[in-house]
Order: sequence, then structure tokens, then C-alpha cells
Amino acid sequence: MSRRIAIVEDDAAIRENVADTLRRQGYEIAAHADRAQALAAFQGRLPDLAIVDIGLGADVDGGFTLVRELRAMSAELPIIFLTARDSDFDLVAGLRLGADDYLTKSISMPHLLARIAALFRRMDVLRSPSKSEETVDRGPLRLDLKRMTAAWRGQPVDLTLTEFWMVHALAKYPGHVKNRDSLMSDANLVVDDATVTSHIKRIRKKFVAVDAAFDAIDTVYGMGYRWVSG
Amino acid sequence: MQTKVAPLAEAPRARLSIRAKVVLVSLVLAAIPFVGYGYVREMENILRAAQEQRVIATARAVATALHDRPRLLEFSAEDDGSRRRPAARAATQEIEQILIGLRRASSRIFVIDQQRRLLAVAGSLRQEPPAEPADTGGAWNWVQSRLLRPLWALLLERPPEDFDDAIPEELLSGGKEVDAALSGVPASRWRPTPDARAVVLGAAHPIWSGTEVIGAVVAEETTNSVLTLRNRVFEQLLTVTLAVFVLGAGTLFVFASRLSGRLRRLRDEAEQAIDVRGRVQRGFRASGDSDEIGDLSRSFATAVDRLAEYNEYLERMADRLSHELRTPIAVVSSSLDNLRTRAIPTDAQVYIARAEEGVRRLNAVLTRMSEATRLEQTLRTTERERFDLGRVVSGCVAGYTAAFPQSRFELRLPERRIEIDGSPDLVAQLLDKLVDNARDFVTPGEPVEIALDAEGGTARLSVSNAGPPLPAAMADRLFASMVSVRSPGAKPDGQAKPKGEPHLGLGLFIVRLIAEFHGGSASARDREDGSGVTIEVTLPVAAPPVG
Repeated sequence: MSRRIAIVEDDAAIRENVADTLRRQGYEIAAHADRAQALAAFQGRLPDLAIVDIGLGADVDGGFTLVRELRAMSAELPIIFLTARDSDFDLVAGLRLGADDYLTKSISMPHLLARIAALFRRMDVLRSPSKSEETVDRGPLRLDLKRMTAAWRGQPVDLTLTEFWMVHALAKYPGHVKNRDSLMSDANLVVDDATVTSHIKRIRKKFVAVDAAFDAIDTVYGMGYRWVSG
Repeated sequence: MQTKVAPLAEAPRARLSIRAKVVLVSLVLAAIPFVGYGYVREMENILRAAQEQRVIATARAVATALHDRPRLLEFSAEDDGSRRRPAARAATQEIEQILIGLRRASSRIFVIDQQRRLLAVAGSLRQEPPAEPADTGGAWNWVQSRLLRPLWALLLERPPEDFDDAIPEELLSGGKEVDAALSGVPASRWRPTPDARAVVLGAAHPIWSGTEVIGAVVAEETTNSVLTLRNRVFEQLLTVTLAVFVLGAGTLFVFASRLSGRLRRLRDEAEQAIDVRGRVQRGFRASGDSDEIGDLSRSFATAVDRLAEYNEYLERMADRLSHELRTPIAVVSSSLDNLRTRAIPTDAQVYIARAEEGVRRLNAVLTRMSEATRLEQTLRTTERERFDLGRVVSGCVAGYTAAFPQSRFELRLPERRIEIDGSPDLVAQLLDKLVDNARDFVTPGEPVEIALDAEGGTARLSVSNAGPPLPAAMADRLFASMVSVRSPGAKPDGQAKPKGEPHLGLGLFIVRLIAEFHGGSASARDREDGSGVTIEVTLPVAAPPVG
């Protein structure tokens, strides 16, 4: 059974390009141009994954509304924002609504495919708990590479896919400085330095929320970041 | 050539305030006493003329009375003051009776015969000093008697009452009016008293006996009564003027104070309407007053609002433009990605590669264009922490050395720690921009010099490079958005940045935003020997922790 991906995007060219790319990978595609149309389709049948643009024609925040409604229908459905809006404010708002990832339209198709594949993998693992665990343990940190989940001192830390990849890239070789460019490529992301900075900031905050004494991510000014295993 | 970032030049404060000017204008009221002075002089002249007529009339009346009794003069001339000639004595007494009957207060009348002998005198030039008005109490009287009168006494000469009132000898022997009267012509004259302390008005009238002048009557009065009257009028005039002046100036002062107060408020609001970064702030409160200042305030509010809208439009433009362009670029890049999955002839691959490179550059441009706006959003939510500035700078420079092996960096750090409150990430971003800028303009082979030191409560971070000097005309605008004053020019070797790194002039704007976020400032200047440019950022050092 092929997986079904819904694309909600008002720009026809992008919609078709993404759809073509995904179709070639064997996914089944449901493309929608606006919120009403998408919602009607979702009520009939939920896709396996949704890619949603924030601005949908005249409905400037239509994507946000749609994701809220979609999240209410299903808690597990992977949702990716794919948007031209790159402000921190939109990013935070999007992730807060329960999206699994937030991507700007400058992302390349191979990167997008990598993310979609990763999200499906994670979903599969979550559904059928496998016995053979593939984990990375760095002191109090445990990364489950199959589920793409992180735990700190036994408590789960809710990371997005991008954040998980960044933490993984850092924690894989503790003490090694990862510069921003390599962090970005490890996270299958093409963004600017400031976005990496704000991602790191958000990751730190999520760990600090679990453990106020968290300081395992060290900034090496001018070079990048490294994982310090206490 | 030091350029401050503060865009508002120190405007000279008003030297002479409106209030002072209005009060100066009220000095026009000072003309009142001068005009009044003229009128009082006129009045004095009239009074003098009237006095003269009166004195002449007195002299004529006495002369007429004596004219009927020529013998009185003859007898009186023989009076030597003794009792031996009772008839002469009686004649003198009778003349004196006539004189007393006709004389007026504060006037003196005397009679002489042809031989200029003084036959009789009556009255005195001295006058009883007028009684001071009784102090009836009350504030006004107190002001009048204690403040004003002494003040006026300083200005106005009070006619003296203790002048020498003797009949001078030369008046009898050669006074003009006496000469004239004895030769049959009535005359009058003002003469000073022998001690020159008062002026006496004398009128002489001949005493006729038939066709012969047998003597003369001289009536005299001092001008003191006129002077006293004049002084009183002057006092009243000055008091009224002073009152009008105080009242007028006071009213004008209050009025001008309100006016200048309102103008000051308007000025303050106008200044606050544009902040130190040169950005228009909303919230200019238009005044509801219906006069011209209210009008000014309202039209200023409108202007500020329009300016703010326009400013906002400009600020959003780069952001909006980059946002609007991202979608078509995404169309191009996703199409290229799709194209790559097809079988493409090898000789066509190169065009796809070029198109992808073009898209990559476009994306870089767009990212830079929205960088400043994004930074401003970040600044709003950035939390401050205390950190060692030296560690951040040395880390960054180590990073640059690794990242740009073809450039040389020289770093000077202070011995001691310099701690500041702020965001180390932002300071690193600031230094990135400074070094970026310096690398753009550095003479190939020369090092980029980075120096940090602290003096007093200020940390100074400077990045200096050998290269072309700053264009003087643009120095002020160096740190503004979208201003690129130094063109990197063609670099002969591989020193220049790779193509695709756009130079939008936002780097130094970002430096300024971050410096100002930390409460500091940024400035640019040529090196003293003109060999290059130094850009310096000052940041306030954190206060040492308590205890």
C-alpha cells in the first residue's frame, strides 16, 4: 500500500513540482489549493502525511488554522509546514500548533524527501515497537535513532525532526566542534546562520525545561557548537 | 574624522526664550513715563505762567492801593524805626497793613521808594512744609509710603524750604525788575535765591504819583509750590506706570510662559517622534487646542504618521520583497530538482548547474535582505546574559583564521576579563559583520586587525584594515540601512569573496543594531595616517556583581 501525502499549497507550480517529486518516489498524492477544499478532503479521509503552506491565497494564516483543525482530527499524523515565511515568529507559532517540522521553500527536493522518509520511518517505529533498539547514549542523553526521539535523564524531550538531527550531529562525536554549515547539512536543512542559532537556542530551551541544569551544548564562538558530556 | 551614530545633531537650544522676548517687548510700556514727562512739563509751564500773572497782579494791586496814598511813602521814608516820628511810624505800619491785606500765602511783598530804600516788607518766602498724608494703614498705603515715596524721592528733587530768603542787596540796587518799575514799567523776573537753592519769581510794579514814579512794589514768590505740584503729578504718573508695567509684564509673562511651555512640549514630542536610530515612533499626541500651536501640533502629528507609514513601508519593503520572491524562486529550484531526475544530455547538464548556482545566489541575496528585519525581531525577544567579551572575540577570530586561510588576522586582547551584559551570539554576529566588511576592503596581503580593550566603564572593540579611506560625504550614513559607501572594487587575486555574496550595505546596519541593543554605539573613522579604516564599537561594561 503506497503512502498518501496531502499537499496544501496555493501556488500551482510549486504544488505540482512537489507532487511530481513525491509521485516519483511512489507516494500517492492529494493536492489541494485552499483550506476549504483540503479540509473537506481530510474529513473524508486522512492522509498519512500533510505538507501545508501557511499563506493560502487570500487566507494569509490559513495554514495555521488548517493544521490546528488537522491536529484535532489526529494526534499522530505527521505534518510539515512548507512556507515562504522564514521569521522566527512564524516558525515558533507553527511548531507550537503541533507541526513536526517547519521548512522554508528554499529547501531542495532531495532534502524534503529525506525528511518525509524520516518522518514515515519514525511513525512506523512508533506504531510497531521493535525489540532491537538502536540508540546513542551520551551520559544522561539517550537518542533513539529509529523513533527519532530524545530523552534526558530518562525524561522524553520533545524535539522536531530538524532539532533531533542537530542534537544527533552534535552528540555523535562529543567534544568535536560542529560548525553551522555541517550542522545544517546533517539536519538536511538549507538556512542561514541566524536560523541555526535560533534552532540551537530552542533545543537548549527544550532540554532546560526538562533539567534546569542542562548545559551540554557549548557555543564555540566563531566556529560552531559542540556536545559536552558531563 | 569621527562619526557618531546618533543621527540627530545637537540642536542649539533657544538662547533667548519667547518668554524673555515678550517681557522685553513689554518694555515698550517704559515709554509711558517719557510721554507723561512731556505733559507734566507743559503743565508746569502753564502753572508758572499763571503764577507769574498772579504775582504781577498782586504787585499791581498793592501799587494801586499805594497810588492813592502817595504821602504814606514820603512819611514812611523818614521812618527810622524809632518812636521819635510817630507819623512816619504810622505810615510804615499802614503800608504794612495794606501789604498784609493783599499778600498771599508764601509770598513776600515789599515797597521801596525812588531812592531804593526798603520802606516795608510783609510775608515770607518760606512755606510751612505740607503735612504728610496720614498713614491710614492698609497694604497699598504701606507700599506707597515705604516703597514708592522713598523711590520717587531718589528720582525727584524735593524743593527745599530752608533756602536763604533774605532780600539780596543787588536786587534793590540793580535788579532788572526794580529798575524797570522805578522807571515806570512793570516787570517780572525769575531769580535764584542768594544760595541758589530755590528760584524766586519777582514782579515789580511802579507806584505812580501823578506822572511821577515815587516807588515800586515788589511781590515775590518761590516756584516751590509749582514744583511740589509737579512732583506730586510725577509721583502719580510713575506709580501708575509702575503698576501698569508690573501688571502688563506679569500678564505677558504668564501668557508667554504658557505659550513657551506648550511649544516646549511640542518640541519634546517632536524630538521623541524620531528615536536615536532615526526611526519614526508612533504615538505623537495631537493637541486639541484651537489656536495656531494646536494647528502646528496637529499637522505635525499628521506628518509624523505619514512618515511612520512611509518608513514602515520602506522597512518592510526588503522583507516583503524577499518574501514575495521566495515563492517564484522555489518554483524554479523545485523545477530544476525535478529536471535533474530526468535523463538530461550531458552537454545540457552544465546549464542546469548554472541555473542552480543562480538560484543559490538569489537565495543568498534574499536571506541577506531580510536579515536586518529578522535581527530586529530577534532583538525584541533576546534574553541578556553576562559573558566574557574577550572569550567570544578570541573564539570568533580563531574561527575566522580557520575559515579564511587566505586572510591574515591580528588580535589584541586585554589582560583582564571584560564582562558585558547581552547576547554572546549577537556579539559574534556583530564581529562577523565587522570582519566581513574589513575583508572586503583590506589591501591584499595586509592583516585585518582586531583589538579589544576597556577603559572606565566602556569596552572598545575595533576592527581595522589597510585600504581605501572612507568617502567623507557618506561617513554619517555608513551605519544606515542599505547604504554601501565603499565599493569593494575589483580584486586582482582570489582575496575577494566568492561571487554570490551580495554586498547590500546591511552589514554595518546590523553592527549598529546590535551595538545599540547592548547600549553602545558604532563609529567609523580613517586611520590617523590615512592608510586605512577603523570601525569601532563601544559597549558598556557590566557593573561588577554586588558583594
